[in-house]
Amino acid sequence: MAERSPAPSLLLLLPSLVLVPVAILLPSQVHGGGFDLIGRFLLAAVQPSLEPLVWRSALSGLAITAAMALLGWAASLVGGLLLGLASSCTLWQETTGHRWPAQGLRRLLALPRSIHELLWGLLLLQVLGLRPVVAVAAIAIPYSALVARVVADQLDGLDTSRLEALRCAGVPAPAALLTALGPPLLPSLLSYGGYRLECALRSATLLGVFGLGGLGTELRLTLQSLAFQELWSGLWLLFAAMLLLEQGLALLRRRWLAPRRLSLAAPKLAQGRRLEAGGRELLLLLLALLPLCWVVGRALGVHPADLTTFQPLPPLAAADWRQTLALPWPSLIANTLVLTVLAAALAVGLAPLLLLLLAPWPWAQALLRLAWALARLWPPPLTALLLLFVLQPGLLTAALALGVHNLGILGRLLLESLEEAPSGPHQALLLMGSGPRLSLLYGPFSAVARSYLAYGAYRADVMLRETVVVGLVGATGLGSQLLESLTAFAWDQLLALLVVYAALTLLGEDLSDRLRRRLQGAPGLVASNRPKPLPAAVEASPPSPFPHP
Amino acid sequence: MEPLLELENVTVRGQDGPRLENISLQLWPGERVALLGPSGAGKSTLLAVANGGLAPDRGRLLWNGRPPERSRRLRRRQQAGIGTLWQDLRLIEELTVQQNLNSARLAHWPWPRAWLNLLVPLDTQANLEALARVDLEPQLLARPVAALSGGQRQRVAIARLLRQEASLWLLDEPLASLDPRRSQEVLELLLRFGQAPRAFLLSLHRPDLLKGFDRGIGLRHGHLCFDLPASALQEEHLRELYGGADAAVSHG
Repeated sequence: MAERSPAPSLLLLLPSLVLVPVAILLPSQVHGGGFDLIGRFLLAAVQPSLEPLVWRSALSGLAITAAMALLGWAASLVGGLLLGLASSCTLWQETTGHRWPAQGLRRLLALPRSIHELLWGLLLLQVLGLRPVVAVAAIAIPYSALVARVVADQLDGLDTSRLEALRCAGVPAPAALLTALGPPLLPSLLSYGGYRLECALRSATLLGVFGLGGLGTELRLTLQSLAFQELWSGLWLLFAAMLLLEQGLALLRRRWLAPRRLSLAAPKLAQGRRLEAGGRELLLLLLALLPLCWVVGRALGVHPADLTTFQPLPPLAAADWRQTLALPWPSLIANTLVLTVLAAALAVGLAPLLLLLLAPWPWAQALLRLAWALARLWPPPLTALLLLFVLQPGLLTAALALGVHNLGILGRLLLESLEEAPSGPHQALLLMGSGPRLSLLYGPFSAVARSYLAYGAYRADVMLRETVVVGLVGATGLGSQLLESLTAFAWDQLLALLVVYAALTLLGEDLSDRLRRRLQGAPGLVASNRPKPLPAAVEASPPSPFPHP
Repeated sequence: MEPLLELENVTVRGQDGPRLENISLQLWPGERVALLGPSGAGKSTLLAVANGGLAPDRGRLLWNGRPPERSRRLRRRQQAGIGTLWQDLRLIEELTVQQNLNSARLAHWPWPRAWLNLLVPLDTQANLEALARVDLEPQLLARPVAALSGGQRQRVAIARLLRQEASLWLLDEPLASLDPRRSQEVLELLLRFGQAPRAFLLSLHRPDLLKGFDRGIGLRHGHLCFDLPASALQEEHLRELYGGADAAVSHG
């Protein structure tokens, strides 16, 4: 009976219970000093440095970061589209009658996907040396695999009846595929592609934090030299760039009527007419991207040939598997998992809790929006460094840093889906005299709870991959051990760690897929008039953002 | 005695012309009033002003002789006394019927009780009585609203109004999407509840269902055409309202 299970809006707030252990443990992590530093940091937000020299260097840093993002993104789109087509079961079935090549390729692609772009960056850095092409490749490799999965899932998730109709009419396979599957696929791929560009800018900044150049490097250097005013100049610049990009992409999406890249609600389908008009613009834009990428590539000094010229490696010690085996594996794995769960619960639970607490004051919501936007673009390792001013290095510090970053992403998602939820019940509750908090809890929260949690499950799996990013805090499990082995040139350890990490990520992916399916398919509680979610688990789009023909 | 609802020279402007123009009316306890008019006449707008959801551009709104309060707490208490049956019902799909019925009590409940309602069934006896009064089976209580049929949903929404214990009922086209026999049933059900100290205002675009009402108010293009006792309503009034076509009064 449905009455035995708690209401969906309570489930929504369940993860925020993690605040209890965090609040208990946090005081023991405070090392006493550093609060004046945090104060100075916060104060500097409103008085960033205005020196032309600082701005010039921040601007050139941003240009480099943006260029790396653009090139990596463009390469991943091309690579992802090709790989996606190559790993689509429908496509193989139509052209050759077999499905197994697609399935095999899919398994293979899971490996580059399961390794975070930062790890790719650091690995390539060791092999190729510090060159601009390293950052581009580090973004392009995992992103290609991600895009490929989305393309393949979308292709295979589409209704094939139209395709079969065309095939029966004697249309050759390639033409039939393009005609039947192209138009329904385009809007969702467009919005997903746009979303990946946002991600690429974040990734490029992050790679910079680890020394691959650009604005990220400047941010880390200014933070470590406690030059907070200069730090904020760079941060506000990055903020402006990110906001511009997000708004610009949103504008294009609206213009072409593509669904929101993170939307939880079913997109309103009206694409036919406008998409055709937008098709020409899209083609023009893509054509303009080609010379742009070429120019940017030249300016940045990216030469694809660099990828084949290795730098001489330091003399490798003979593999010592005994020592590798002696690493504290159980605790490494356990720490990684605890870190992931803590950070995920913090991020997933805090967003609705904060909204609920601030519900009576509309202006507070605007403030929250700003804070979340900052949290999104502020790279987690920098948050970790900042937290180290007041906290001891450790799991909790890392979890906070990772959680804050993802809170920014989940918070925006929650706000957007609340805006799209039906407003009727909310207004009815308010007009029956319930308070603003209870009205929000009963009305909109009930409507979005399940799909939001499903997205949270997906996000937890991304966070598992991201734990390496906060590894520099130390004692965070596999992530910090990886960074340590990397700097010590212990290749045997590195290899073993990578394999375990990848296996863990894939396992987590499977687990979050199952959890998501359970959340979305709970009997009796999912409104029958809701659109069915796509079966496929899709990066950054899980619940059901894509139109279904 | 004060009127439960009073509108004084209320005007609501829309994008192309006024949606309501200089409307004044009073609603007294025990009155059952039909709000008549063709679609687009401003009936829903008038109900939205009356329940406090839409602030008029000009004019005054009084509940029990008092304007909408400025203090949040007092305003919520006022709102708790005004029940609305929305055309789209506005039930919470994901919650059970019981939780939906209890949501009408949120204005009176302390917050721990409001939270507990999301976890365990509360006030089962009162909810069962409300369900019985709208002729629904008791086993519906534990079902999520999303699993109900259209007719069941409407009755649940009426039961929620009963649970709210509001003195003023505003009903927006409750019969619009029903077939003739069902609309007669629902109307009889509603009229059963319209006794003093309660009053209700029900918008209606079919003048043939006037039986059982005490008064009729005619609205056309945002203007008040007439405000008469039901017994005084003549065919000519309705012809004026609907422009001649399909006006037939059925008096009891």
